[in-house]
Amino acid sequence: MTAPALAVLRAGLDARTAAFLESCVRCNLCAESCHVYLTDGEPDSMPAAKVERVARLYRRYHTLSGRLLPGLTGARELDEQGLEELKDAAFGRCTMCGRCTVNCAVGLDPAAVIGLARQMVAAAGKVPPGIMANVTAALETGNSMRIPAAEVRETVAWLEDDLRSSTGDATISLPIDQPGKRVLYALNPREIKFFPLSIQAAGLLFHAARESWTLTSTDFDITNYGYFACDRASAGAISRRLLERAEELGVETLVVAECGHGYRSLRWEAPEYLQRTFPFEIVSFVELLDRYVAEGRVTLDAARNPDRVTLHDPCNLVRNGGVIEPQRRVLRRAASDFVEMTPNREHNYCCGGGGGMLAASEYTARRIAIGKLKAEQIRRTGAKVVVTPCHNCIDQLLELNKHYTLGVEIRTLAEVAADALVLPGVA
Amino acid sequence: MRLAPVTVTALVLLAALTVAAVSLALARRGIGSVRVPVFAAPRGSEAAGVRYAFTTAFLPWAKESASGHLATYLAGIIFHAGIFAMLARLVLTLVPAALPRVLEHFLAGLFALALGCGLGLLAKRQASAKLRAISVPDDLIANLLVDAALAGALAASVVPGVVPLFQLAGAALLLYAPLGKLRHMLFLVTSRRLWGQYYGRRGVRG
Repeated sequence: MTAPALAVLRAGLDARTAAFLESCVRCNLCAESCHVYLTDGEPDSMPAAKVERVARLYRRYHTLSGRLLPGLTGARELDEQGLEELKDAAFGRCTMCGRCTVNCAVGLDPAAVIGLARQMVAAAGKVPPGIMANVTAALETGNSMRIPAAEVRETVAWLEDDLRSSTGDATISLPIDQPGKRVLYALNPREIKFFPLSIQAAGLLFHAARESWTLTSTDFDITNYGYFACDRASAGAISRRLLERAEELGVETLVVAECGHGYRSLRWEAPEYLQRTFPFEIVSFVELLDRYVAEGRVTLDAARNPDRVTLHDPCNLVRNGGVIEPQRRVLRRAASDFVEMTPNREHNYCCGGGGGMLAASEYTARRIAIGKLKAEQIRRTGAKVVVTPCHNCIDQLLELNKHYTLGVEIRTLAEVAADALVLPGVA
Repeated sequence: MRLAPVTVTALVLLAALTVAAVSLALARRGIGSVRVPVFAAPRGSEAAGVRYAFTTAFLPWAKESASGHLATYLAGIIFHAGIFAMLARLVLTLVPAALPRVLEHFLAGLFALALGCGLGLLAKRQASAKLRAISVPDDLIANLLVDAALAGALAASVVPGVVPLFQLAGAALLLYAPLGKLRHMLFLVTSRRLWGQYYGRRGVRG
């Protein structure tokens, strides 16, 4: 089992990750930056301990002193137990949120090192089965929930009918599979299965902005569990389907629905996986909505959302994606009592559901436990509504809401904005 | 440039400098180039991110890790300032140039402070269970060798006759440097630049 993992460490190690591994001096000042360590207090959860687990292998197989004097630098050979510990560190104690990276006193990227650990674990075939099931489904069917195109079309048709009757506006449409539109709006499959209201909300906002847009019934999936597995081959193959679909439809802009890792994997990682650029812009729906509001294409009335609202920052959208202020500008226009949680923006804590943790059922108890920090942050705001532009975070926050009896409503930005939307002729 | 009178310790130091430079250059070459083609369109400026990484990101309040551990962070900064000065002073022992008296006094103060900080950081590592959990013998040896070189630099600033001892302590440090964590002196700059580029490019910082 260890041979494939070692092959990754020996041949697949990139210079950047090697530089990070060489730079960590085990100062451990990052410890309190990690939500896992802050909640479980276990030394194995400290970012420096997780990095050190990989660094000891690196020293054994990549440095002369590690080969000749392993005791001096703690260099260690990889055995089966070491592989299990590596899996625990990379998948069970880290959501790859990157908060330790922002705060590293030296200036290295522990999350990138964990990415290497995940690649090694993936090569050894030890990725949590729940994550791998999603990878396989996406590769086989084009989406991680195996939703057939016919079901997507049916759901969208039903949503369109419902939207028309609820607004009384028969001109509203949810176009699908239409080439030549300006925008392709790509979805998280969970929206189709469990959260159709977020599709309706986005559709209503597109309608209000008089956007030329379309959905797609095939290769619509913005999620990418290959990214969580840090398996570049499968992550690239999954991204390629949607990106090629956007090319086929000839759009100018690919708009990624509210999903942190979906945005990051498409906007930032996919061009690197596939080693190419694309003839369209890739933006988050959050950014597009912000543009609509700024351009006056969408009018929002904050009074329609009078309850106190707070905002959770998805790590992959904010800290690792750079979409920091647009959602705030929209919320200030869409809700009359918007308050920040502390800390916020790139310093916000991960909800605990990132890095594929939600799909890895063996870590469920741990995931709920590390969410305590987020639950406390939310409680301190006194908010009744928690907005987060990420379906992954929404799933985790829904569970935290129940487990920690927060009594809040968890919503997407589109849903809150749609409630505040002023449509001419509609009360 | 005129060289100082050739002594055994100066020759040892020169040899150690050569070994360290070659070994570290080989180590750097060993990891390959960190420059890779980037395809994702930037949101912000890599250059601004790098500027941030090497300037304001060092301020004690820039990162929670620094502001939350202010004493340790400042000790680390002083320790490293002392090390840079000590290395420069070490090289200067090979040329017969006398430093201005005021500068010698300033350096002596810096070396003394840095030595205190180095020993303090070592004591913290030994006292803290969290730090011991991630420590290896290299942490102890590297710190002691640096402290010895700082002590040598301090002594040489006060008593010129002990320069040979400083040179030997410096040589020992340089010979050890390519073996363990002291290699970070070489990779830190690369690492920090990549860190700045990442956040600058994505428009998070800078």
